[in-house]
This record gives sequence, structure tokens and C-alpha cells, in this order.
Amino acid sequence: MNFISKSQIKLRFVLLASISVFLLSTLVQSLYAQDTEKNSVRLKANYFKIMDSEVYFNIAASSRIDRQNVDVANIDIIITNEIEDEEIELGKVTTNMKGEAKFVLKSLSAMRPDSTGLYTISMSFKGNDAFKRASKSISFRDATIKANLITKDSVNYISATLLDTAKDSILSDQLLNVQVQRLFRNLRIGKEFNSTDENGTILVPIEEGIPGVDGNLTLEVVLNDSDDYGTVKALVKAPLGTPIVDESTFDQRKMWSPRNKTPLFLLIFPNLIIFGMWAFIIYLFINLFRIAKT
Amino acid sequence: MKNYDTLLKDLTPRKFGKRGTIWTVFLLLIIIAGLIAYIDQVIKGQVVTNMRDYALWGIYISNFVFFVATSFVGSVTVAILRLTNNSWRTPLVRIAEIITLAAIVMAGVTIMIDMGRPDRLLNLFIHARLQSPITWDVIIVPTSIALSFLLLYFPLLPDLAILKKHFKKTKPTLSKWYGKLALNWEGSKAQKAIQEKSIKIIAIMIIPVGIMLQTIDAWLFSTTYRIGWDSTNMGAYFISGAFLAGVGALITVVYIIRKVRRLENYITDYHFDKMGKFLGLAALTYLYFNINEYLLPIFTAPVEEDIHLNALVSGEYAGLFWFSQIVGLLLPLLIVLFNKGRKPGPMFIAGIMVVIGSWWKRYIIVTPTLLHPFLPIEGVPESWHHYFPSLHEWLITAATLAMALLMITLFVRYLPVIPIQRTADERALLKTDKNSES
Amino acid sequence: MEDNNKNSRRKFLDKGLKLGLVTAIGGLGLSKIATKLNAKNDEHSGEKMELMTTDGKIVQVDSSEVMEVTHSEDYDTKYNVREGFPNRKFVMVIDLAKCKNALKCVSVCNKHHYVTGENAWIKVHKMQESKDTAPYWMPRTCMHCDKPACVTVCPVDATFKRRDGLVLIDNERCIGCRFCMAACPYSIRVFNWSEPGQEITLNMDHDTSMEKPMHASPDYAGLPSVKGTVDKCDFCPHAIKDNILPHCVTACPNGVFYFGDKYEDTVTNGEETLRLKKLLKDKAGYRLLEELGTAPSVYYLPPVDRLVDFEDGMENYTEFQSVEKPGEKTE
Repeated sequence: MNFISKSQIKLRFVLLASISVFLLSTLVQSLYAQDTEKNSVRLKANYFKIMDSEVYFNIAASSRIDRQNVDVANIDIIITNEIEDEEIELGKVTTNMKGEAKFVLKSLSAMRPDSTGLYTISMSFKGNDAFKRASKSISFRDATIKANLITKDSVNYISATLLDTAKDSILSDQLLNVQVQRLFRNLRIGKEFNSTDENGTILVPIEEGIPGVDGNLTLEVVLNDSDDYGTVKALVKAPLGTPIVDESTFDQRKMWSPRNKTPLFLLIFPNLIIFGMWAFIIYLFINLFRIAKT
Repeated sequence: MKNYDTLLKDLTPRKFGKRGTIWTVFLLLIIIAGLIAYIDQVIKGQVVTNMRDYALWGIYISNFVFFVATSFVGSVTVAILRLTNNSWRTPLVRIAEIITLAAIVMAGVTIMIDMGRPDRLLNLFIHARLQSPITWDVIIVPTSIALSFLLLYFPLLPDLAILKKHFKKTKPTLSKWYGKLALNWEGSKAQKAIQEKSIKIIAIMIIPVGIMLQTIDAWLFSTTYRIGWDSTNMGAYFISGAFLAGVGALITVVYIIRKVRRLENYITDYHFDKMGKFLGLAALTYLYFNINEYLLPIFTAPVEEDIHLNALVSGEYAGLFWFSQIVGLLLPLLIVLFNKGRKPGPMFIAGIMVVIGSWWKRYIIVTPTLLHPFLPIEGVPESWHHYFPSLHEWLITAATLAMALLMITLFVRYLPVIPIQRTADERALLKTDKNSES
Repeated sequence: MEDNNKNSRRKFLDKGLKLGLVTAIGGLGLSKIATKLNAKNDEHSGEKMELMTTDGKIVQVDSSEVMEVTHSEDYDTKYNVREGFPNRKFVMVIDLAKCKNALKCVSVCNKHHYVTGENAWIKVHKMQESKDTAPYWMPRTCMHCDKPACVTVCPVDATFKRRDGLVLIDNERCIGCRFCMAACPYSIRVFNWSEPGQEITLNMDHDTSMEKPMHASPDYAGLPSVKGTVDKCDFCPHAIKDNILPHCVTACPNGVFYFGDKYEDTVTNGEETLRLKKLLKDKAGYRLLEELGTAPSVYYLPPVDRLVDFEDGMENYTEFQSVEKPGEKTE
């Protein structure tokens, strides 16, 4: 007789239930544990604007792993323009091996500001198996720098005016840097900080004798890392430099030149001597043949 | 005719006795050891030497300079003595020519051993820059080899013909080789004319070529800024040094060959007396240059030159410096100043002293300068502040010297060390004179 | 009959429970397997790799986080390595008043050029001209002379002087004669006496902040070094090309090295950017061994108004060592 008593069933039921609970909790725990194993990502973004040229954002992704800051490479960041309640996707970038990415817009007109003229942009990272999702949004206003060259009393000046584009109003008491473009770091002209006056203008004299290729210099007027306006840069081409004179001896015939530019006396005399010596030596070898022939 | 037969018997090359074979085997063993060491150097790199970034040239270069200096003996004895009509040179010229050729060939080999990338040897020809003294060296050394070879070969032709006849019956294959090399020499008027004209050209050419060789060798050092090397004196200094080293080597080799081949009748006390005076001349010239080089800076020497001089005279290199000056120059000079000193025995001692002294003198020229750079030696292991050659360097250098000696030995084995034809001609002339007199 | 019904119900329940248990375990097992498969490509595969961070520390990083990067193949063909950048003349200014013998320049240069010999390319000397004058620390790089003795004596054109002032070495052509080393009065050149042994250092490098050439080029000395050839400081053309300052300049914690273009009359140490002529005039700049006529491109500013005590530098002073071998402790 195949009897299973009631108590046995109860026992088995209890057994099954407890096993299920145990398994379920492990399952949940493992799923949950996968989530806690992921690291969080911190996104940083800076806004740059170059007058009459592009607008770009430098994005950096880093994470704190084992109490050290590590660059998060190769993650996709989606950039969206947030206005009122809308979100317009502007594009996508991927961070490089240093966790950095640069997102470029041809001009600010690709974005729309809100009613107060404030642009809001957000960068978001959907998350992957190693990292949690993250996002960062920054807001800024559009500022304009109008810079040009003035000559007063035979002194050259650079004059620049700072305006808020949306309100078309002057911004005074803002600090601007003026510098000339150089190879590794730009060279500052004038004082370290030039404060815009009540007309939103600065006037900085350009010193004499700054060398440039063919006398051309590229000057920059920069509003550096402002809270409201980000970084705005205006470039001015100024043919006010002293032309560069190439002093290199590369094209000349020197003792240290490569063989195609040997000094002439070394080309002439040694070759004459070598030719003379070997002419005689060949003649002597011919004489050996002549002896053998006779 | 009897005299001529004796002449032939004395001067024709003979098979080696026991001594000769042992000597050859000994040289071969050294050469093999050197080859093994060189292969190890090519595989591992020059780290097997004791040269490092400061002592960047070592005994490979000083050995090279020694070989170049010794090869000057051809210009000196053969050419200069010929142009000054010193007829006592006749029994010595063949040996001088042999030494010259062996030395200059080994100079070419030695300099290739010093290259860090011997596999890129052809770059020296494909990408050569005329502004570099090494390029001038690359030009002059093959030129000297070619000229030294011709210097040996042209006068050898009559002797090769004689040897062909002499060995025709006893050693037919050897005789055939002599015949081939003799280039159908018959002693005809036409051949003699060509030969004489050629020898004249060679004798004149080899003097400027020899001088150029020594000068370029000197300019390898004096075209740098280094203390002890940056001297306008260097060219003349090297020429006089080569003069001394060459004559010293000649005396040594002549003595040994004379003893081994029992050539006392041909190379007499008179010859040693003459060579002694020649050596004296060379030593006095070299002494003059040494005084200019080492004594003069006592008066006004910049700091670095002072340090360098002190290191040589009383410092780390004092032993070797004084050894090379006393043993290599002053003692031989003293020996040859006396009549008794110019006898074969003492001359041989003087010659050996000159050779050994010259070899170490070139070490003194190369190494101390490199270890006294303008700026301090710091940040490198302590061993880099000094230099003494490693086992590999000694083995390879010994092998090059052994190769030179082997070349000379083989020449002696197969070629007449004293020109047979010329000696016969000179003695025949003497005989006819005697006949006409009596 | 009641029993039978009861039995069948029990049996049904029994079977059902058993089936349910099996399903639960099976499902759990499958999901665990699935996650494990996914996790293999991600983190915590268990393997750790030892890497060197950009500031010389050894870090244990999970090997799954290390990614293979293909270097850019194109290397601007218009740029002639033997001619260099047009309209530039590179100079360096070394301010001896600031040098504290921190030796960071030496260690960064060694790292970025994979120097494994016993002789670093930058040398920092303990200088004292005479016993009455004060001692100071003097770092030296290659002077990139305008009248280079080393270039004049090279027989095969392996070392050459460029239009932009740099003196570089083509270690595919060098024959190892060491004449350039004998000719250099500053003794700045080093020789690879044996195999450079760069395999370890080359494998440890995952810094891709600068483009590296795919094959050996005089523009990046030491990548790789070749046995039996010469090496020396090259003023880092591979970095200059990307507008990055040479490594020694950025590594110095005291801002000792200034670098720039003489034609632009501007030098910078990364923080300060100054006019070269004015700097040399104000601080009485000079050049080493000027009297030899080599016309070096490195200017020195005398150790006046020192910022640091000479004695502070003695703790780092290693008279007989300048290169830490790979495998040695970097701390």
C-alpha cells in the first residue's frame, strides 16, 4: 500500500517551503549583490565658447575605486538639451583612455535656452555591468566678447567688450585675461586680471617686440571659468609682432650638416687626393698585369 | 756560382722545424681563443668588455693605434732610406714590408672589432660623411693596405721566379704556385723597366700616404675637445711615435728571424749598428715631443689639464705612464747611445722594450683622458670611474697580435726574408769590383 | 475508496511538491550560470595584473579592466623626421635657484623612455666650482648644441641636427663606434652595451596620452633602444608634436625646467610662462662650457636667492645610481 501520511506531507511541505525561502533569499541576495558590486561614476563637465567659432564641452568621467580616483574609459555619454520639460538629444560621445571626452557643437544655436536665456545641458551615462548609471547637468548663459585692435598715440591696444547675449547688456566687473597664443602655454599680456569697466570694456596695451611668424600674432581675450557664463574666448589676429628670422644652419654647408651638404673644401680636396692616390694604385696594378703579359 | 748556390741555400724559405711548428700552433690557439671571445662579444654585446659610458674606448682602440703606428716602418725604412740612398737597408726591407702589411691589415680588423654594430659595416660606405675623421680613416686604411701590398709584391717578383726554379724538382706544386705569383717574371729588360718605375712610384707615394695615415689616426683624437687630446701637436706627435714604434718592431723581428734562420752573414753587426743609430734618432725626436706634451703644462695649466697631468705623473696612471716612458723610450735611448749598445743582443732588448712600451703608451693616450671629462662622473656605478680591460678584451687583443705574428710567420715560411735577387746583384757587383781591383 | 482518493491526492501533492522543488533549484541554477557567464567578460574574473600608474606607483588592477588599444597607424608623412618642425627653435632654461635634487625629472625621463641601463639620460650633479664657492644642484639634459661636435664626427649620419634645433639619433643606422660620445664635451650620451632589456618596462606601459610611433623613429628615443647603439635626451619630439611639454618639465615639483620656442621668445615650466630674453636678462642666464663654442640650446639661471637649502637635496643623492631597474621598489 502506498501510503503517505498526512504528517509526512506536512513535513515535506514545510521542507519544500523552507528550501524555497532559502533559495529565494540567495537568489535575491545574489542579484542584489551584483548591484552593490558596481562602482559609481562621477561626471564633470565644463562649457567653452570660442567667438565666431564652435562651442564645446569637456567631459571627464572618474570613479573612486579602492579609495583611488580612476579614470573611467570607454563609456558612452549622451548629451541632451533640457528646456522646460523637453529633452532634446544633442549627441553622444565616448570617453577615451583617460576618461575624457569632448563634445563639439558648431554653434550655440543648436541648443535652445529657456525663457530667461539660461541653457541647460545634461550628460548621462546609462550604466554598464561595471558602473552604475550617472548624470550631470550644467547651466550657463551665453556671453559675447567683442575684441578689436586700436591704435592710440602710436601705441597698440586691444579693446574688448563683454556682453550678455540674451539680454544684450554690458557685464562689468568681470575679470578677463589677455594673452598671445604660443606653443605650449599662452603668454599673458597686460595685468593678470583685467576688470571690465562700467561699459563692460577693457583696454590693454600690446607690448612691442613680440615675435610671430611673418609678424602675425593671434591674441586671445578670455573670460575664464565664470559661474554663469562658462569660459568664453575671443581670438584676434594682430599683425603687430616682429617677424621671426630663421637662424637655423640647416640649409647651409657646415661641418655638422648631413652628407648632402658637405662643406665645399671637404668635397674638393679629399676627393682630389683620393682620386690621385687610387689613380696611381690602379696604374700600379695594371703594371703587374703588364709584367705578366711580357 | 758557388757563392750563388750558398746564397740560395741560405735565403730560400724552409720547412718549419719543431720550434716553428710549436710557435705556429701556439699562435693558432691564441687566435681561436680570441675568436670564441669575439663571438661571445657579438652575441652579448660589448658589455663583456670593461668599457662603459665614460671609458668608452679601451684597448681595442689603443691596439688599433699601435698597429697603425707600427705600419709606419714601411714608409720609414723602405722609402725614406731608399730616397736617402742608404744601401745598408737591403737585407732589412723585405722584413719591413712584411711587418707593414701585417700591421695595417690587422689595424683594419681591430677597428671593426670595436664597432658596436659590426653588422652595419656597409653603412660606413653607403652613408659616409666626409666631415667625419672616421670616414677619412676608412679611406686611408684600405689605401695603405693596397700600397703596402704593392710595396711588398713588386720587389718580390724576381725572387718568386727564382723560387719557382729552385723548387721545380723537389716541390712541384709549391713551385707552380710560386710560378703563378711570379707573373711570368723572366728578368727581361721590359719587365725590369716596368718594375723599377713602379717601385719608384710606390716609394715616393708611400711617404705621404704613411704620413696621412698617422695624421688621420691622430686627428681621431685631436678633433675632440677632451683634455689630453685637444692638442695641435697631435699629428706630428703620432708621426714621431710611429717612427719609433716602427723601428723598434723592425729591430725585434729582424733579430728573431736572423737567429732562427741563421742569417748572420747577411744581417751583420753593421746593420744593427745602423739600426741602432736610426732608433736613436727616432727616440730623440719622440723625447722632444713628449717633453712638449707633458713637461710644458707644468707652467700654465688650466684646472682640468692639471688634474689630468697629475693623474698621469703621480696618480692612478703613474705606474703605466712611467713604465711607457722609461722602458719604452728612455732606456732604449740610453742603450743605443753606446757603441756596445748597438750590438745585436742589446739592440734586441732595446727593440722589445720599445714595442712593449709603445703598446702601453697608446693605452695612456686613450684611457685617462676619457676618465677625466669636463663634468663630474655621477649617478653611475663606482666601477665606471675606472677602466682595466676584461678577459674578453685581453683574449681578443692577444688574438689580433697573434694574427699579425702569424702573418709574419707565414711570410717567413714561404717567402725569402731577404731579397735574393737584389742581394745577388749587389754581391755580384761587389765581386766584379773585387775582380777588377785584383 | 476514501483511502484511495486520499492517497491519490497525497500522491499528487507529493509529486507536485517534488516537481516544484526541482524547477526552483533548476531555475536558480540556470540563472546563476547565466550571471557567471556574463560576469566573465566583466569584473572580478579573479586575475590581477600589475601595472604602473602615470606617477610611477605599482597598482594591482583587475585584468578585465585593461583594454587592448590599437595605436594610430598614421604618422604625419609630411613631417620629415630629419628636418623637424618648421619655424621653431627649441630651448630650455634651467633655474638652478629652485633645484632641490628631487630627481623626479630623472625618474620620469627614465620611465617614459624605458631607460633600463645604469646611466640615466638626465644627470643631476652636485656642483661646486671651488671650495670657497657655494655648492648647488645642477640638472643636465642634452644641450642640443647649434654647433654639435657629436654630429660633426658621426661617420654615417646617424645623429643629425634638425632645423628646429633638436639633435636626434637614428639608431637603425648607428654603427656603435662611439665617436660622438668621445666628442661630446658634456658626456651626455649613453651607450647600450648589452640588450637593453626593455621588455618589462614596455609591457608595463599603458599610457596612451601621447601618440607613439608604430616603429622605431628618431622622434622617440628609447622606443626601443638597440644594443650596440647610442642614446640620449631628445627633448621629447613625440610630446612636442602634440603640444605637450617634455616629461622632465612637467614632472619637476619645483618648476626648475622651462621649455619653449626661442623664435617665439617664450618659455614655460607648465605654470609660469615668461619672455625668454627678459628672463635671461633679469636673471643673468648663461650656458655651460660656453668657451668651447658648441652654442648649446640650454640656458642656466644662476643659483641666486635660492628657494631651497642645498643640504635638503643630499637625502636623494645617489652617487652611484641613477636608474631604478624594473622590479625594484619604486617607493
